[in-house]
Amino acid sequence: MNWGEQIVLGLLLGGVYVAVGLGFSLVWGVLNIVNLAYGAMVMVGGYLTWLLFVHGGIDPFVGLPIDVVVLFGIGYALQYVVINRVVRAPFLYTFLITFGLDLIIVNALLLVFKPDFRSVTTWYSGAAFAVGPVLVPYIRLWSLLAAWALAAVMWWILNRTRTGDAIQAVGADRDAAQLVGISLRRTYALTFGLGAACAGVAGALIATFQAITPTAGEPYTLQAFVVVILGGLGRVSATVVGGMMFGLVEVLAQSAPHLGAGYQNAIAFGVLVLVLLLRPQGLLGRTL
Amino acid sequence: MTIAVAACGGGATGGSGSTQTGSDIVIGEALAATGQDAKEGGLTKQGVQIWVDWVNNVQHGITVNGVKHKVQVLFEDDGSKPDQSATLDQKLLTEDKAQFLLGPYGSSATATAAVIAEKNQVPMVEGEGASAAIFNKGYQWTFGTISPASLYLKGVLDMADGLSPKPSKVAVLSADDSFSLDVTRAVEQYAPTKGFQIVFDQKYPNGTTNLSGLVSQAKSTNPDMVLNSGHLAEAVAINKAAKQLDLNAKLFAFTVGPSTPDFVSSLGNDANYVISPSQWTPAVKYKPQFFYSVQEYVAAYRRLFHAQDEPDYHVAGGTSAGLALERAIENAGSTDPDKVRTALTRLNVTTFFGTLAFNGQGQNDKKPMVVEQIQNGKHVTIYPLDVANAKIQYPAAPWSQR
Repeated sequence: MNWGEQIVLGLLLGGVYVAVGLGFSLVWGVLNIVNLAYGAMVMVGGYLTWLLFVHGGIDPFVGLPIDVVVLFGIGYALQYVVINRVVRAPFLYTFLITFGLDLIIVNALLLVFKPDFRSVTTWYSGAAFAVGPVLVPYIRLWSLLAAWALAAVMWWILNRTRTGDAIQAVGADRDAAQLVGISLRRTYALTFGLGAACAGVAGALIATFQAITPTAGEPYTLQAFVVVILGGLGRVSATVVGGMMFGLVEVLAQSAPHLGAGYQNAIAFGVLVLVLLLRPQGLLGRTL
Repeated sequence: MTIAVAACGGGATGGSGSTQTGSDIVIGEALAATGQDAKEGGLTKQGVQIWVDWVNNVQHGITVNGVKHKVQVLFEDDGSKPDQSATLDQKLLTEDKAQFLLGPYGSSATATAAVIAEKNQVPMVEGEGASAAIFNKGYQWTFGTISPASLYLKGVLDMADGLSPKPSKVAVLSADDSFSLDVTRAVEQYAPTKGFQIVFDQKYPNGTTNLSGLVSQAKSTNPDMVLNSGHLAEAVAINKAAKQLDLNAKLFAFTVGPSTPDFVSSLGNDANYVISPSQWTPAVKYKPQFFYSVQEYVAAYRRLFHAQDEPDYHVAGGTSAGLALERAIENAGSTDPDKVRTALTRLNVTTFFGTLAFNGQGQNDKKPMVVEQIQNGKHVTIYPLDVANAKIQYPAAPWSQR
């Protein structure tokens, strides 16, 4: 067993989970919406990347800004037109509406793209460099770096810009935020748009290493949920730690001695339960 | 989500020529149109539509005691959820008065649908479920036209046995659904008898798309041959990870995936050299006793669906189920479910798909599997040698030289 390679692969996979978790965490933390359509939006990002790659010849990493802009637009519009109507309603309503959105997006993708499997396979997608006995695939490394860059940008927006201040203020106390002149509708839409943009980046990264279909986003909603719970809600750094840790646990669980890969989910979710028992606010979360 | 997709075929009952025309034979089929099996479900449906088109527009009906009956297939979308297949099949029987059932896509869905066929004593013929779990329960009303799961990789091992140098060290990566486990169990039993040594044998949860950790483990055992018993998405993920981690086996074989056009379009050149068992390929040379020849079948597929490519085995499997049912109804001379069931147990007929005959469990073990390879982005048939239209490219070139 090449443990070094296993650890590196786990960390590289963690990068994808960081990208997946960032948008989910932001929307949950600020809007108090558990976005069940998140995985579907990840797939929208994946398909956009595939379209750009196949029909425009645009490299998946070069196309990332396009993903960000388009998904931001979709997210902004969805929140502004649809979700804002129920955002103050009880939790169950937003649950229902995002579940409905999930069905609509997935079936729209099915109509447009058919259930065919697609994947972005670039000329360098199999290339790797060796560090001692450990092979590091370039495309996975760049995915990790892209996810970290996304986390850095999100941190900067949330902590160093007036928009970020507004988002944080709304997250802390929406009535007080409204009193000091922050437009709730606009801030909600901005937040959801940013969340969608993160989903777009995650989808682009995912399309490079697995086959995508309209329904392939489903597990990522669950994984985003787990990442956010592991790391803790409401902080970019917490999502980064949660994502990296979940990637590592998932890969290492595949090679757990005497158990075999069939137990990977049991182990990964066992760790989650353990974290919830010992630190209910997550590894880096603020005290509840 | 329940959507009645289409009732294809004509409902015409007008008389034509000297033969009398009777009422339509109504057949129900719950099939994935959405969800994770939507692709394969769609292919199966195309296969059924080719058969319906032939019965209604070429044959002008199934002849039962000199009376021609057109067929009408009612499709329902099971959303790739096995419990839904059963619910919808029950609805098709009680509300829509379907007289017969065609099977859903996939072993899990077929296993639940089989319960409904059994409970209602209605014959169900299926061409898309191969797991032993469907057939080892003593059911009397379910008939599968495709080769059993246990044969899936047997042909690949037989072929590999004759290769030089022999790829004797085998790594097996298997999904943990019933069909994939059947395939793997058969490999675990059969490989050692042919002198292969299984150096790596791991099961992963069905649907896992991140398999790089497992591929890295497999690499450390230095296998000559990598066998995957799983599904299309996993096959793509394993192939990508094998390249990234420079796992250079001499032979890569995947049970499900490479035979679909998506595998090649997803992977491009990296799909080359990949080997896959197949229920059927357009290269087979069976002498059909009725229905189209293989060439005519390919032409009918292209005409009906305005396609350029060739039908894959999911399509052919869908068609084969219809053919078995049709011939059994004709042989029975009746649409009485019990008589048709008896006719199915006695069926023995060769079609473009191969022999259709059922053993005591209702499974078709008379039809061999063929082995395909992807060469320069094209599917060619390499085994058994009497139907092969190309020679195997072996060993696979190292990733660095592709």
